[in-house]
Amino acid sequence: MNKDINTLIKDFYNNDYILNEELATSVFLLKNLEKPLLLEGNPGVGKTMLAKTLANHLKTKLIRLQCYEGLDVSTSIYEWNYQKQLLHIKLFESEKDKKTLESQIFSMDYILQRPLLQSIGADIPVVLLIDEIDRADEEFEAYLLELLSDFQISIPELGTIKAKTKPLVILTSNRTRELSDALRRRCLYHWVDFPSKSKEIDIIAKKLPNIDELLATQVVTFIHNLRKSSLHKPPGIAESLDWAKTLLLMNVANITDEIVINTIGSVLKHKDDIDFVRNKTVQEFLFPID
Amino acid sequence: MVEVNKTFKERLIDFTMYCRDRHFVLGPQETKDAFKIAENGYVLDRKLFHYSLKAIFCKRKEHFDRFDEMFVRFWSRYYEEKLDERKKEIKLIKNESNSASVIFLGSEFHVPKKEKKIEAKQTKGANENIRLRMTDFSKVDINDKKHLEELAIELFNQMSMRFKRRLESSNKGIVNIRRTIRESIGKGGLPLDLNFKKKRKEKRKVVFILDVSGSMDTYSYYLLRYIMVLKKYFKSLEFFTFSTMLTHITPLLRQKNDQEILRQISKNISSWSSGTKIGESLSEFVSVYGNRYLSQKHIVVILSDGLETGSVTVLKEAVATIRRKCKTLVWLNPLKGMKNYKPIQKGIINVMPHLDAFESAHNLDSLLKLEKLLMNV
Repeated sequence: MNKDINTLIKDFYNNDYILNEELATSVFLLKNLEKPLLLEGNPGVGKTMLAKTLANHLKTKLIRLQCYEGLDVSTSIYEWNYQKQLLHIKLFESEKDKKTLESQIFSMDYILQRPLLQSIGADIPVVLLIDEIDRADEEFEAYLLELLSDFQISIPELGTIKAKTKPLVILTSNRTRELSDALRRRCLYHWVDFPSKSKEIDIIAKKLPNIDELLATQVVTFIHNLRKSSLHKPPGIAESLDWAKTLLLMNVANITDEIVINTIGSVLKHKDDIDFVRNKTVQEFLFPID
Repeated sequence: MVEVNKTFKERLIDFTMYCRDRHFVLGPQETKDAFKIAENGYVLDRKLFHYSLKAIFCKRKEHFDRFDEMFVRFWSRYYEEKLDERKKEIKLIKNESNSASVIFLGSEFHVPKKEKKIEAKQTKGANENIRLRMTDFSKVDINDKKHLEELAIELFNQMSMRFKRRLESSNKGIVNIRRTIRESIGKGGLPLDLNFKKKRKEKRKVVFILDVSGSMDTYSYYLLRYIMVLKKYFKSLEFFTFSTMLTHITPLLRQKNDQEILRQISKNISSWSSGTKIGESLSEFVSVYGNRYLSQKHIVVILSDGLETGSVTVLKEAVATIRRKCKTLVWLNPLKGMKNYKPIQKGIINVMPHLDAFESAHNLDSLLKLEKLLMNV
């Protein structure tokens, strides 16, 4: 594999993130092709963490925009600082040259910069994380298109503001709704799947160096078999880590039925799922008969 | 920078076309990006080249899952050999003097050369996808099956996107006076931007009842996939199947993975491909689930060929009750797509007066036309 990609994998590993070659290639292209990267996958597989680690790796700032229904331009791109504009008008009421006054109040000094505008105005390239884009409305997706393809934002009163430096944009989605083709076309794409057993053991060992190898293997086997069951919400890596941490705190050496009943709340977040596991024995998840 | 020769660039364009034929949405920008990675020297490392093209060409999970196999197929010697074989076959066909073979709707007909010319003129502009869209599910050739499935998934997804868009655009309600005044404070009290209340969405509630008996075998799989896609956009969609007994499928649709849903369904429906008791099954639906899933907000869609083996009176009464209790009742009958079909079977004759719509559902095109019907729910 390419030398740069191997370095990237190593550096991410030092930052506690285990990249596989495929995902590493996507991150590498994100840096080199200067195209946004769209990450889709189940919740808790490490999509947001990737952006944080990338910012650490590049020693740059992470600007995060958490999406939600109803997110609009004034909370994501910019808003005029109305109070400051009114004060300025009051102060210079006697000013006769109204045109100068107008140009003064509609300048960058009177703009409250929100994450997207901040990201293109930074002096060094930053990592811009647009988290859970599937939660935002479709109109917001349309706003994003200009930024994602040309790295510029249009403000009616000021014109087009081009990026000083191009930010590295990562978009994440949990697929709660289908994103538009226009947005997808502008991005590189990667589906982040649940990791393999060995990779997940590595992740737990890396994050919790004190954990016993046997316990880590048991946790991962249990979680992997849970994912195969039809649950409302299958546990992600974050849940595996939480459970391993809980077991470590409780000085557990071996997973038993009692331990599962007492601690399963850190893995499963749905009543039906918890009941499903409580009605089975630990052996069924550690040594399933396929 | 590596100098990439013309032949390789042509191969890359061929690969883009190959992906496009398999419903990847690729424009000139993707081809340009592919050239860029080739020129950056990524072609020298097969893995890097593979993963880079994957990141550029894939735009959704369905593409992501299929890409590896397609890449290996295209760039391996196997594909080259297959291509040579096909070229030879095409040459042979061209050399045939008296007859030419035309593949039409999965069957191979030998027609004289003159007729072929006339037909070719008539089918000008038609392509593989259009042909498949018009093909009756029961007549799909084994070679076309995979292609048809891929096409169906792609078209159903596009349809569901349209659903979503229309629902969103019609969501603006009346002016929100309180918020408009509140927001105007920052603008010196001038209400420059009006704030609108969201229109209260009337929840669309749809109930699908699918016949999975033996006579519906060739259709039920595609109809099932169609309903699975609709489920993503109709939050309150309920799904039942029946043959000799009724099964409530909705809880199984909660799985995120389509393959897992199909696996669960095959595990849970024991009466798949057995006899048909439409009347009894619909009566069971009315008595067991009627209170919950029949109201003036519900549209009920029954997908069945109407070939009843049980009592026609029971069927008639059940359909009449459903019609009375729901807002709209639609019957989709795959047999209606047949050229000389007439609704003369006892079961169908008796239920026809109670239906709001009686449509065909025998090919992709007819399923896509239902979009309009469902939009008016």
